Amino acid sequence: MKRYVRPLAAWLLTAVAALAIAACGGSSSSSSSSSAATSSAAASSGGSSSGPINVVVGTAPDSLDPGFGYTTQAAEADWLSYTGLTTYAHANGQAGGQVIPGLATALPTVSADGKTYTATLRPGLHYSNGAAVKASDFAYTIERSSKIPWGGAGQFYGGTIVGAADYAAGKAKSISGIKADDATGKITIHLIAPYGAFDNVLAFPSSGLVPSGTPMKNMPNSPPPGVGPYKITNVVANQSFQVVKNSHWTPIPGIPSGFSDISVKISSNVSSNALAVLQNSADVFDWADTIPGSLLPQIQSQASSRYSKKVMNSTYYVFMNTKTKPFSSQLAREAVVTGLDQRAMSRLGSGTLIPGCFFLPPQMIGHPTGQCPYGNPANGGDLAKAKQLVKQSGMAGTPVTVWSETRTPRQQWMTYYTQFLNQIGFKASQKVIADATYFPTIGSLKLNPQTGFADWNQDFPNPIDFYLLVQGSAIQQTNNQNFGQVNDPHVNSTSAKLGATPGSKLASIAGQWQALDSYLAQKAYIGVFGYQTFPAFTSTRIDLSSAIFHGLYGWDWSSLKLK
Amino acid sequence: MATTSASGTEFSGEIPVSSEGVGEIPPGIGPWQLAWRRLRRNKTALFFGGLFLLIVVLCMLAPVYSHQIAHAGPADGFPDKQIHVGGTTEYVLGVTGIPIGPTWHSRFFLGADGSGRDVAVRLLYGGRNSLEIGAIATIITMILGVLLGVVAGYLRGFSDGVIRFGLDVLWAFPAVLLGVSLGVSIAVGGLGPIKGNSLYVPALVIGIVYIPYVARPVRGQVLGLREREFVDAARQQGLSHSRIMLFEILPNLASTIVVFMPLILANAILLEAGLSYLGAGVQPPNASWGTMISDGINSIPAAFHNVLVPGIMLVLTVMSINVFGDGLRDALDPRAKVRIAH
Amino acid sequence: MARFIVRRLLTMIAVLFAISLVTFAIFEAIPSDPAVRLAGRHATPQQIQQISEKYGFNKPFYVQYLRTMKNIFTGQAYSYTQGFSVTDEIKAGLPATVSLALGAGVLWLLTSIFVGTLAAVRAGRYTDRMLTVLSMAGVSFPPFFLGAVLIYFLGYQAHIFPLGGYVKLTSDPWQWLTHMILPWFTLSVLFVGFYSRVLRSTILDTVNEDYVRTAHAKGLSDNQVLMRHTLRNSLIPIISLWGLDLAQVIGGGAILTESVFNLHGIGQLAAQSIAGLDIIVILVIVMFTAFAVVILQAVIDVVYALLDPRIRLV
Repeated sequence: MKRYVRPLAAWLLTAVAALAIAACGGSSSSSSSSSAATSSAAASSGGSSSGPINVVVGTAPDSLDPGFGYTTQAAEADWLSYTGLTTYAHANGQAGGQVIPGLATALPTVSADGKTYTATLRPGLHYSNGAAVKASDFAYTIERSSKIPWGGAGQFYGGTIVGAADYAAGKAKSISGIKADDATGKITIHLIAPYGAFDNVLAFPSSGLVPSGTPMKNMPNSPPPGVGPYKITNVVANQSFQVVKNSHWTPIPGIPSGFSDISVKISSNVSSNALAVLQNSADVFDWADTIPGSLLPQIQSQASSRYSKKVMNSTYYVFMNTKTKPFSSQLAREAVVTGLDQRAMSRLGSGTLIPGCFFLPPQMIGHPTGQCPYGNPANGGDLAKAKQLVKQSGMAGTPVTVWSETRTPRQQWMTYYTQFLNQIGFKASQKVIADATYFPTIGSLKLNPQTGFADWNQDFPNPIDFYLLVQGSAIQQTNNQNFGQVNDPHVNSTSAKLGATPGSKLASIAGQWQALDSYLAQKAYIGVFGYQTFPAFTSTRIDLSSAIFHGLYGWDWSSLKLK
Repeated sequence: MATTSASGTEFSGEIPVSSEGVGEIPPGIGPWQLAWRRLRRNKTALFFGGLFLLIVVLCMLAPVYSHQIAHAGPADGFPDKQIHVGGTTEYVLGVTGIPIGPTWHSRFFLGADGSGRDVAVRLLYGGRNSLEIGAIATIITMILGVLLGVVAGYLRGFSDGVIRFGLDVLWAFPAVLLGVSLGVSIAVGGLGPIKGNSLYVPALVIGIVYIPYVARPVRGQVLGLREREFVDAARQQGLSHSRIMLFEILPNLASTIVVFMPLILANAILLEAGLSYLGAGVQPPNASWGTMISDGINSIPAAFHNVLVPGIMLVLTVMSINVFGDGLRDALDPRAKVRIAH
Repeated sequence: MARFIVRRLLTMIAVLFAISLVTFAIFEAIPSDPAVRLAGRHATPQQIQQISEKYGFNKPFYVQYLRTMKNIFTGQAYSYTQGFSVTDEIKAGLPATVSLALGAGVLWLLTSIFVGTLAAVRAGRYTDRMLTVLSMAGVSFPPFFLGAVLIYFLGYQAHIFPLGGYVKLTSDPWQWLTHMILPWFTLSVLFVGFYSRVLRSTILDTVNEDYVRTAHAKGLSDNQVLMRHTLRNSLIPIISLWGLDLAQVIGGGAILTESVFNLHGIGQLAAQSIAGLDIIVILVIVMFTAFAVVILQAVIDVVYALLDPRIRLV
């Protein structure tokens, strides 16, 4: 048998060796260039100073079609490509929350009863395919987004515009509350009731005009033409897309025309995305992704000048069911707010949380300036006091089910919270639900969940967007978002009144929002455990002097240019 | 390889265990005794068999370790605590959530995970779950696989057709894809009295997935056995089918079953880890080696021990079962060839 | 023979039908209402109703099943969560998956032939025992663990290989290669373990067959016998196994390897769709894989039947 070996081994070895040489060749030469190690994220790796800016995104947009897309990843691209009658100022942070005229000549005028909005379309506008923009396209756009339907359509169109719900349900051929005159460009919108944030609704990318006759279906592969400094092209499902300068764009005051084309690559490994930006083989780390805590020390030491944490308007909290034991007792709720250690929660979340106790986040108008009612959260929780409160409430030993999502760090937060509830005297156990079904599950009134994870990210910078989650009228059988079933007459009436105030007068009622938000915290209706910070992280190629980090959409891609 | 012809069309996934391997038995020695003699000579197999036993015992001692040494339960997280290691005081979780590495002391001997839990404690409890699921899954697969294989092979005809069709359907599913689909679906919805996060869910899923890998070769072997004289004799004595299957056919399958057990066990543990990695296996807050690796991958590169520790345990366990199983197979039936596809 | 082929085809179609039905039922059994899931957190009850009607979630099981199947076979299958055409999603994932399958396939086939043959000719000796333990180690490594270890040591630590991801062959062949080497290796380790064991036993069996003895008696040298007779015959089962496994990998079966290396191929698409409970994408992928496996199986059966008259056509 022994004699078989040599010739056989010879021809097999040749084959294996060929592969091995390929492998070794790969290793030796790619190790010479350090960028090769992480170029995974950006195929067209860096080096050249011209060319597109490479953005790496961890999660694919739900759809780049503005008639469907709702996630931040979609909005980043869509708000530059689909301008509505109004849009947001291209400015840093909170200043970016200001609504400015978009395709309308001015901000819409509001009738005295607050129910009729009138605007006039700018003349001479063109879509990215060259077609002229008509006033009736606005009506068509709202109809299309209602029909597809866009995730916010039921609430923001159906709930506000006369006839939009009937249209979506197929009971009408058009939305009766919208009138448009192509000859004059005049657009009139009738609302069911005064809605202070309607200027913001008009600024959603889903309200960004698309041509009449665009198919009434989600078109993620080839998003429809829009009006904006950029347009979206070359979409490859779950892999990549490009946002390029729109040659048919006519400049509008307040909307910059942009510098570079943007090339977006979707890659779910955020660690390798972060390293790619660190090593300049990609230019922008998507702000909505979290830089893994394990890479932060390296990034902070090697790239501190191009990494910072930004606060956006989002709040993490535990909801507490005010209708069911034990959290029907205010003392029990106070115990949670008093005792939960937000510093530990922050560690579990890679240090991305900033502590706080108010529902309205720090950058939002109406965020209270006063002290937290149950101890300063930055100092950690008062466990002894919390235990005492539980005893006092008479709820000690009550079984509690803590609901949580699967994803990191939300699951870890709730594991810790469960442990905490047990420490202060409840009998808590954790129930983990698949991400895809979490909110539908806890949104079922029949389930009547006791407590668990919840969060809210702003749709627009108006406190009413948060207070929709604690209004008694928001409690519904399925898809309930008022998880704690908070139904306090003071909260209901005040938030309704403040919410109807037109957005332009928001600054004048800031004090009243602050008072209401302090009241909510005083009653311990929800257990806020922090506000998330987001990473602003770019390569050395990006000129940060002109770059805008927008309060709503994160990096303003039209402000990015190469050094 | 005469047995392949019996089942003709199904060479692909697995080559049936030959039933004639035990042919050269010296007079006076039973086949099992002979196998034991052969196994005793195979030092490698014995070594790995011992290693497996050691791992099992360690995992069974998880509560003892947890209470007496580490003073922490598998679900207890300490993200807010500091510990003293070698004269310095360190947070269990750093400010950016980086867990402490192995301390080589009683507390956090193998470091902490991203939730500030003791990795050594979770490793043992997780191992218990992994082994338990593997064992239950193996039992399910063996019972159902042998049952279906014997019934199909012995009765032939209509029952055979139905069973073979069912096996073909199961077999055409990629194992992981079927496992993940079933796992996610049941984890979300539960299954009758079994809650979605019960350990029995992955055990059941894995048990079902591997049925064809046992049933098909068993059927092939039974097709051969039913033509043998002793079965004919039993039939002529007027014994019922179920008695023949139970008392005549089944004992002859003993060595096949023994050979298959470690193979299924090893693959069940591997599949459990794979499902858990994809979020379709053991559901939190329970741990298994698979979920630990899956969680740990988030903390690469700063805390690689979170991947390495459970991974090494997993590989050692599966490998020890495999090597011991291979030795067992050689001992029982030096010519047998068994395979499981992934 | 014709009857055999027809029968085989009919069984094949029945199996595919059953597979689609089972997959559909698995996800249909989830108690959460897909309309609520798709509607998003802002949705009003009216909007949920609208979605339910649009996708027919309020219809009975068999109507939904037939409707879904019709959509799939007419190319009208669109992902529920993203709206992409499923065909487009598969097309986008195919280059990565095919790169993985072909590269790894060649690597694991050649390596296992080498290892298996070496173990067989050295049967019982030290080399054989070492190779046995190595093969056992190979089949004991879960791909996601092996992948993570390789990425950590060769990527993060040594900077030799990228951390994962896929680069198109057409856009940069060199990058394509460096991105594929670790996934190829990871996937191959598993298969080499199996294949080399199977090949070793097959060779040992074949050596004792009559025709090999005859060949020896004819005065052929040991090497000639090995190459012309033993190996050639022993390779048949290995290569048909290889075909089936390759079909599975192309159909998204390498879900773990694809996920850990973040290749965004069909396997990862399947994993993501399952996590997002996007049933139509899962259905298409499962059927795609099952098609590949079942058809190839049938072809191999027929070819075997033609080649080997000893096989009874059942």
